[in-house]
Amino acid sequence: MTNALHAPRSVAETADINTSYIDTWTIGTPRLLAGLDRYPTLDARTHLAVHGPLPGADLAKLLGLLETAGLSGRGGAGFPLATKILALQGNRPTVVVNGSESEPASHKDRTLLQRTPHLVLDGALAVATAVGARLVKVAVHDPAVAAAVRSASRSRPDGKRVRVQITSGSFVAGEARALVRALNGGPALPPGRHDHLTSRGVLVANAETFAQTAVLLRLGSWGYGQTGTRREPGTTLLTIGGAAGRPGVVEVPLGTPLGIVLRSARAENARYLITGGYHGTWLAPLPEAPVSRAGLAGVGATLGAGVLLTIDARTCALGELTRVSRWLAAQSAGQCGPCRFGLPALAADVAALAVGNPAAAANAKRHATLVQGRGACSHPDGASRFVRTGLAVLADELGQHRSGGCGRPVVGQLPIGAI
Amino acid sequence: MSATLHIDWTRCAGHGLCAELAPERITRDEWGYPVIHRTTVHPADTVAIRRVVALCPALALRLTPAAA
Repeated sequence: MTNALHAPRSVAETADINTSYIDTWTIGTPRLLAGLDRYPTLDARTHLAVHGPLPGADLAKLLGLLETAGLSGRGGAGFPLATKILALQGNRPTVVVNGSESEPASHKDRTLLQRTPHLVLDGALAVATAVGARLVKVAVHDPAVAAAVRSASRSRPDGKRVRVQITSGSFVAGEARALVRALNGGPALPPGRHDHLTSRGVLVANAETFAQTAVLLRLGSWGYGQTGTRREPGTTLLTIGGAAGRPGVVEVPLGTPLGIVLRSARAENARYLITGGYHGTWLAPLPEAPVSRAGLAGVGATLGAGVLLTIDARTCALGELTRVSRWLAAQSAGQCGPCRFGLPALAADVAALAVGNPAAAANAKRHATLVQGRGACSHPDGASRFVRTGLAVLADELGQHRSGGCGRPVVGQLPIGAI
Repeated sequence: MSATLHIDWTRCAGHGLCAELAPERITRDEWGYPVIHRTTVHPADTVAIRRVVALCPALALRLTPAAA
C-alpha cells in the first residue's frame, strides 16, 4: 500500500456562496465539487463550462477505464463498478442511481444531486448507454433533491431517459435490494432471498459512484490517477459531522492523512472518531491514518459511505453510543427475529454499561456476536460492528462509568433521526 | 456433492422445529430463533436435512447445491 499523494496537500478552503446548502470544501483540486465554490448550483450551461463536454464511451472503453482506475462503489460496500457491470444479465438492463442516502449523518449524495446533478446524470447515462439500458432511474428520499434532478433532466436532450422516484427514507430502505423492491411497487424492505440484482438485469450504484464515473470519462485513467493512492486513485467525498467546528461535505484525494481532513473541518480536538457512519467503526483519532479504504482498514476502521463523525470533551461518549445503539435498534425493519430482538437487547446492554453495571459487558459481547450474519440485510452486522468497536474504544470511559460516571452530560453530538 | 443450508430470516418465526429435528446442527438463541452451527451439509446428511427443510412450518429453510 502506498500513501503517497501526487497532489499538493494545501488546504484550499473556499466559503460556500449559498448558506442554505450544507458547507462544501475541497482539499487539493476539486473534481466532483468543481464550480460549487463559485455557483450554488451548476445548471446545464454552467456544468458544461466547468467540466467540458462528456466524451462518449462504448462498453469496452468504459470497462477499461473503470478497471484501470479501480473505481469502487461509494455507497459503503466498495464493490468495483466494472465487476458489477460485467455481472449484468439480460438484454434490457436498468440503471439505478441510489441517492436515498439513508445514513442520517451523510449529505454527500444529496449535495451532488441537488447542486451538481448533471455530473451524476452524465455518469449514469454514460453507463446506461454502454450497457444498453434505455432508462436511468434516480431514487431519492428528499423531495427538494428530486425536484433538482427532475429540473436538470428536463434541461438536457438525453434527459427523457431519466426517471426520478421518491422512495422511503428509513435506514434499511436504502439497501440496494430494498430500494429496487420499492421502485417496483413493493415494500421498501430487504428481501429474504439472497439473489443478486445484476442477475435480474438491474445495476444499482451510489450517486457519487456515477459522478466519479463522469469525472473518469473526462480525465481518462491517467488523469484520474494524478491524485489519490496507487491502489485507490482519485478523490472521495466525505461528510464530516459530530463535534466538528465546520461540518460539511469535503472532497479529498484518497490517502489524505486523517489529521489534515480533521483540521480542515476544525475538528482537531476530537477525542473519538466514527468512520463509515452508523454501520461503521469507532476509533481513537489517528492523525497519520490515510483516508482510503485500505488506509482505514489498516487501523481496523471502515470508510463506508464516507461519513466521518467526531466526539469531543463536551459530551459523554458512552451516552452517545447508547443513543445511537437505541436508534439502530429502532431502525430494524422487524422482519428478522435476531435483529428485531437482538438489537434492542444489545442497546439495553450498552445502556446498562453506561449506568455502571459491569455485568452487562458479557451480555453485550454475546448479543453483538449473536446477531451477526443473521438477517436479510447487513443491518444487524453493521449495528453490531458499531457497538463492538465503540465499547472497545471506550474502555477507559467504561471504567469511569463503573465508578460513578464520567461527569459529562450527553449533549447529542451524533445526529440521529427521530426514533 | 455437498449442499448449503440457508435461512430466510424474513420468514423464520422461531417455531424451533428445526432445532428439535437436527439438534446436532441447529440450536436456538434466547428468543427461540435458530443458530446454525454448520451450514455445509455433506451428502450423507442430505436426506435428513432435506426432511428438516420440508417440515419447517414457515418454509424458511432452503438447501442449495453448494458453492461455498
